[in-house]
This record gives sequence, structure tokens and C-alpha cells, in this order.
Amino acid sequence: MNTPAFKHETFRDDYSFSNSAEAIRRFPFPFPEDDYMYSVNIEQHEPGAPGSVLEHLIDIDEHYLAECEDRRLTLEQDPDRCIITPHMIDAQWDMVELVMESLAADYPQWFSLSKNGDDWHWINTPMGIDQQFRFGDASTLPMPPFEFITRQVQGDWIIMDQRDDDLFADMGMVTSQADWSIAFDAGMSFKEWHGPVPQANEIGVFDRALKYLLHLQYGSPVRRLNWTMTVNPRLDTSPENYPFWGPDNVSVTPENVGDKVYLRVELQALFRLPRSNAIAFSVRGYLISLNELVTYPRWGKRLHRILKGLHPDLSEYKGLDHYRQTVIDWLAPMDDGADLGLGTQPE
Amino acid sequence: MTTLNVRVAAVEQVTELVKHFTLVQQNGQPLPRFSGGSHVVVSMNINGRNHRNPYSLMGSPDNTESYHISVRRQEQSRGGSVYMHDQVTVGSELQITYPVNLFAISKLAHKHILVAGGIGITPFMSQIADLNRLGQHYELHYAYRSPEHGAFVEQLREMCGDRLHCYVESEGQRMSFQQLLSQQPLGTHVYTCGPDAMVKTLLLTARDMGWPESHLHSEQFSAPPIGDAFVISLAQSGIDLEVPGDMSMLEAMEEAGLEPPFLCRGGACGRCELEVLACDGALMHNDHYLSDAEKTAGNKIMPCVSRASCQKLVLNI
Amino acid sequence: MQRGYWIRSKPIYGSLVWQSPAAAHLVIAAGEGGIAVLKLFQQMYPREPIQVLYAGQPKTGRDYAEILGSTVPEGLQICNSEAELLETLKTQLGNYHMGTQFYVAGPEAFLWQVMKSLGQVGVQDADVHKELAGTLARPVYCVHCKTITEAVHHNIFSCSHCGRKLFVRDHFSRRLGAYMGLMVDAEQPGNIPKIEEVYP
Repeated sequence: MNTPAFKHETFRDDYSFSNSAEAIRRFPFPFPEDDYMYSVNIEQHEPGAPGSVLEHLIDIDEHYLAECEDRRLTLEQDPDRCIITPHMIDAQWDMVELVMESLAADYPQWFSLSKNGDDWHWINTPMGIDQQFRFGDASTLPMPPFEFITRQVQGDWIIMDQRDDDLFADMGMVTSQADWSIAFDAGMSFKEWHGPVPQANEIGVFDRALKYLLHLQYGSPVRRLNWTMTVNPRLDTSPENYPFWGPDNVSVTPENVGDKVYLRVELQALFRLPRSNAIAFSVRGYLISLNELVTYPRWGKRLHRILKGLHPDLSEYKGLDHYRQTVIDWLAPMDDGADLGLGTQPE
Repeated sequence: MTTLNVRVAAVEQVTELVKHFTLVQQNGQPLPRFSGGSHVVVSMNINGRNHRNPYSLMGSPDNTESYHISVRRQEQSRGGSVYMHDQVTVGSELQITYPVNLFAISKLAHKHILVAGGIGITPFMSQIADLNRLGQHYELHYAYRSPEHGAFVEQLREMCGDRLHCYVESEGQRMSFQQLLSQQPLGTHVYTCGPDAMVKTLLLTARDMGWPESHLHSEQFSAPPIGDAFVISLAQSGIDLEVPGDMSMLEAMEEAGLEPPFLCRGGACGRCELEVLACDGALMHNDHYLSDAEKTAGNKIMPCVSRASCQKLVLNI
Repeated sequence: MQRGYWIRSKPIYGSLVWQSPAAAHLVIAAGEGGIAVLKLFQQMYPREPIQVLYAGQPKTGRDYAEILGSTVPEGLQICNSEAELLETLKTQLGNYHMGTQFYVAGPEAFLWQVMKSLGQVGVQDADVHKELAGTLARPVYCVHCKTITEAVHHNIFSCSHCGRKLFVRDHFSRRLGAYMGLMVDAEQPGNIPKIEEVYP
């Protein structure tokens, strides 16, 4: 990707967010076939095709500065979106290392990290941050290490402590979530935190996923895609602010649906952290309006079929019930029923 | 499985039976960081056959220049430790896995009691480095056969000061688990690694005194025992394989070019667990992972260390 | 809630039964939790030392202090309020050692206040035996204004702090010791489903 500039745009109030043609082309469309069933579908988080969202361990795109600014605004109103428990101190530094090293290696034009023993020097050019600090000494940073670094990266981060053959969500920076609250869910075990996903508990999906994650190895991160839909390009669809965004759910009409309704895809990656033996769970959201999506007719047709066949429990769980039919009706004339074959490619 | 290519940079004869190996990356790069209590699996090519043994990392996790493992010579084994002792020298090249931690320090503990027997001291050495760095409250109780078998005692004294308590069997010093576990403050966790009988007795004593399971931590790796040959039938791939007496099921599958999942290869982690579909004899479980009930039920097996006394064992893989 | 699934975060409480083996037993109860303690003492007493901390709730429920006084053979301590009990507990926890079995009985909010004190000395949730006694009233955390309303009896109620009409979800936070309350009419203001008493 040779996107030189970061866009000035908003994810609230006037919602000026939009995707460039390049951002649409690289959108991580999640449906390889016409049917959707909840599954864990985990794969190795290995570098993907150049230009794709999978090219690097942590993807930085044209929305970087705007997303970091939106996080700053959310934290200003509600500091509890960042929860840190004291026993996660090693994991805080693991995160500093993971993010700084990946960004400096993958985007040298924007980020630089130099080390002299434990004396580190971090430069984040787009955000204008130039910070020297001593690795392992939290007093040399202006705020807790985990908060410092997650304010400088897109997506939500939940750090899970591993103990008693389970994982506990003991730390998190969560400002762009699909309707869940880190202030409320902090400290929960893997299953407490995930359940219930309709159609998932019964088939043992979470038991298998947990066992797999308990064995996740340092140096071998994994990833999966998840999706939902949202009205307006709003990152902060939190339960905390539901009174403010809830009314949007009933504002979709046949006239505004292409503009107002967004497919929201989460690239979820899981990393074993070395010092703490914790697991970092990153949830990176990508938004695309239906108008932008249907610029690739193959995607429009595929989404039409997915929504038509979606199990009612999953539709309710994802909060789509108010506008799913309106979306289906809007997409229907664009679907000629042609065989799309397998795969998520746009064309 | 991500692996690292390492070279032996130093070999130290620590006691009559224990050698300490210093490993560095062949490409000169720093090694990955790890957490106290981690181990790596070392691959060895012995007479054209690939052996893989788990060894705890005993260096400080802060040190990414080199990894440190110690190997106790076990004459009654299939040869992994003897190979390490007799064939591996400075300059030898080995392949190891990335570190995995099955014996992590509890971050919720208010106090840690570490109990080591013999070569079981090794995982505690990296744990102690972490406990010191984090300023945690701990004590180390280390039992060994005789003064000349007390590996790393001097180093431990430097690391632990008066938190180190040694018990020398030849001098009649015995650890009383009952005494050790009495009057411990709430929030204490106990960790043990060493001979099977010691680990089992300590855990039993703790349970008998009302300690909850969540406060008990142990690590034991088994070596695959030698047994009789048998045939495994892999239901999903439709392959039948002979498992020779001196090979594990996991090794037999790997020899045949398959890549079944594994992690510790010592029956501790559970990663390689397979479902048993049929067996015309008896399963011989040698792992520390399955519960007694699961072992009795007989529909799961750990192919890294367990075997069967049968003609044919059908596995769902 | 549909048959076949439940929300995993919702705690399931049992009935108190003496646990063995143990080095000592600490029983902590409030209000109707007194009944659970009396039931314990109808079972065979363990040999190890037993301590019972009890606070009656004279206003809302029965006070079992007197009956406990004549039933509990040793180590009974009566507190005048839940607050006093929690203070007493904190000062006494240092006297207990590994091997102590913990038993807690009372209203749900009380169970988790006790758990918070125990957690601070490193006792883990799964190792504490809990019995919900007397009332199903729920402590509810308003996810919007972050305050907890104690003893909620209805499926929908007004937040004691911000006044929003909240729907009580089955989602429970052990850290906060409360269920989640979410604004019920955010999408269509004033559109409020039937309010019913479901947690008597």
C-alpha cells in the first residue's frame, strides 16, 4: 500500500468517514461462500498479500489518525474504557514491545524504535510523539505502558491472563467495540466473556477454541474474521453509550440504507506474549458502507445471499433485526443469482 | 510448529550426572523472550531417527543472548539424554522449538513456595529470576541425594539468599511436606517439580490439608517408555502403521511423513491428544495430562508417551 | 431465555455443605443466610476449628442471631450490620491459613462483597462455597452512569443515580458483583415493555 496521507474524518457527530477506492479494494470481505454459520475458523496469522490488510502483523491504514483521535475522545469522556489490573504489569510491557517492534519494522516511514539496552526511543511521526523511556520502568512513560501504546494503534486490545487452564480478560483497551463493555467484562473467564453466542455453545465451539488458545505459541499468532453490521460509521457502539447510538438502529429507510448501513468486519488476531505468558487478543474493525461495498457487484450479491439465509438467532444476536429486511430488499435487485464460486475476492 | 536453529556455545559438567548446555542462535540473532517455567523441545537425530525431548529453560528470561538447559543422564532410557551427554559438544547444531510455558507462576499468588527434587530444580531457576524481578514473596525448598549431586546450589544461594532451603538426603535431611504446608498465609501457591513420588506425595499432602487445586502447580515430563510393537490404524487417513517397541506413536506417525500436532512431547500439555476409536487390547497411559477417569474410560490417548498392549489400535486422525 | 443455553457469566449457587479435608472453617452469613448456617449445623460437625460471622438484617429479613447463638457450639461472632461484618472480616482474615474452607450465605450483593474481601488476600472465587439465601433481588450496575443499584426486584427499573429505565440482563460481573443494567428504551424512547417483579 502506498497511501501517503491519513484522512481527516470523524466517526461521530457528522460522520465524515469514508473509504478511498484503494481501501474498498483491500476491505477484508468475510464471506467465501453463500451460507454463513458461526465457526471459529482460526488460521495462522502469517503475512498475506502485499497491499492487503494481512500484509503486516498489525495493519495501519488511511484511517489511522482519525481512529486514534476517536479513541482519545472516547477515553476523555470515559477513562474506564481502558482497564488495567496490577498483576498484568509484565503483559503491559509485552504489548509495548509487540506494537513498537511490529510498527517500526513494517512502517519505517512512520515509526522508529531504537534501543540501547533497556533505554528505548520511540518516534511516532504521524501522531507527533517522540518518547524516550526505560523499558520495564513505568515511571518513565507519561501513563501506564499499555495505555500509552494502545492509544497509538488501531483496534481494540484485550489481554488475557492464563491460569487454571483458562483465560481471563484482565486488561483491555476497548473503544470501538460491537456492544460489549470492558469495564463490565474485565476479569471474566473465556467462556463467561463469550457466551452465549447462539448456535455456538451446543457444538462445543468454545471448548475447542479455548483448548487451542491455551496452547497458542509465542511466535505463531493466529487470526480469524468476524462480522456484524452497524448503522453509521460509528466506532464507539458501546453499551455505555447505547442511549446515544441506539436510536440510529431504527433510522434506516429504503432511501438511506446504502449510505447509513455499514458492514463491520473484525480481524481478530491472537498473540502469545513472551514475558507474561498472557494472550493478546486484538480486534481490528473495518467499516464499509453498503454503497461502497456494491461497487464490487460480486460482494453485493454475496452479502444479499448471506443475509437472506442468516439464522434468526444470529440476526438477533448481531442486532440486525431492525434493518435486515430493508438491506435485503435493497440488495435484491443487484443479485442476478449467478454462481459466485468460492472465495472472498472482490471480482 | 515454529523452530529455532541453535548452536551449543558451552557445555559444563555440573555434577557427575548433569550437564549444562548453553545454546545460541546459529544466525547470531537474539533468542525469543520467555516467561519463567518455560521449556523447549530439543530435536536430536539418533541413528537416523528423530528424537525430541523437552527441557526446562533455566537461564534468566532477561537473557536473550543464550538459552540454558540441563540434562540428567538417564541410562534406562531410549537414549536422548545419553546422546546429549556423549554426542553433543561445543559447536553441535540442534533444532529447538519456541519456548512454551506449562509451569507458569500464578500472578494472583501472594506467596510462592517452590519445591524441587534433583534435576527438577531447572524450571525454578527461570521462575526465580522472574520472582526476583517482580519483587514477589517466595521460598525455595531443594532436595537432592548428596552434596555432590546438589546442582547449582551456589548459584541459587546468590539468587535466593536465605530464601533457599536445602535438604541433603545423604545427611539425613528430609523435607516435611506437612510442616512446609502448615500455617501458610492465604493466597500461597505451591509449585513442585522432581521425581514422580515426591511430586505425588506433595500434591496429596496439600490436598489432604485442604489446599484448593487452583493453588497447586506441578510439572513432570515423561519419556516415552520402551514396550512391545503394535499397529495403529489412522481412521481418517486410512493408513496402518507399525509402532516399533522403541518408538512412540507420535514418532511413528512422523516417520511416516505425517505431521500430527504436538507441543511438549512429555505427556504434560495435552496438545497431541487423540481419540481412540477401537483397541483390541489395553491402553497403557504414561501421561500426566488425562485424569484418572479419562484414562479408565479409554477413549483418549496421548501418542507422545503412551502406548497400547494390543494388535491394533484405531485412532481418529 | 431459550431452552438449552444460559449466559455463562451468571453464577450458579449451591447449598452449603461442610467441606473436607480442611484445616479450619470460616462461615460468613447475613440476613436469611442464617438459615443456610443453621442447615450446616444440622450436618455432622467437622473436627477442625469453626468460626461463624453473622450479621442480621432486622429491617428486611429475619434475624437469626439468637437461634445461631444457641446452635453454634463455638466461634460465633454476631455483627450489627453487613458493613460491620465486612470490617470484622478484613481485620480477621490475617489469622487464617491455607487449608481454610470458606462458606458464604446471604443475598447476592452480600456474597460478592465478601468475595471481594477474600479476593484481596488471594482466595479465588471458585474455592469459596456460596449459597444464595432469602431473596433473588439483584445488585445491578448501570452501564451508562456506572453506579450500582442494590436489591432490584423487577425486570425493568429506574437507575437510582441517572434515572434511566434499565433492563436487567443475565450478564454478571464478578469484579463488580452486579448484573448489567442496559437502557431499555434507547431505540424508541418511551417504548417500555411490561414491568414485572421477577426477582422477589
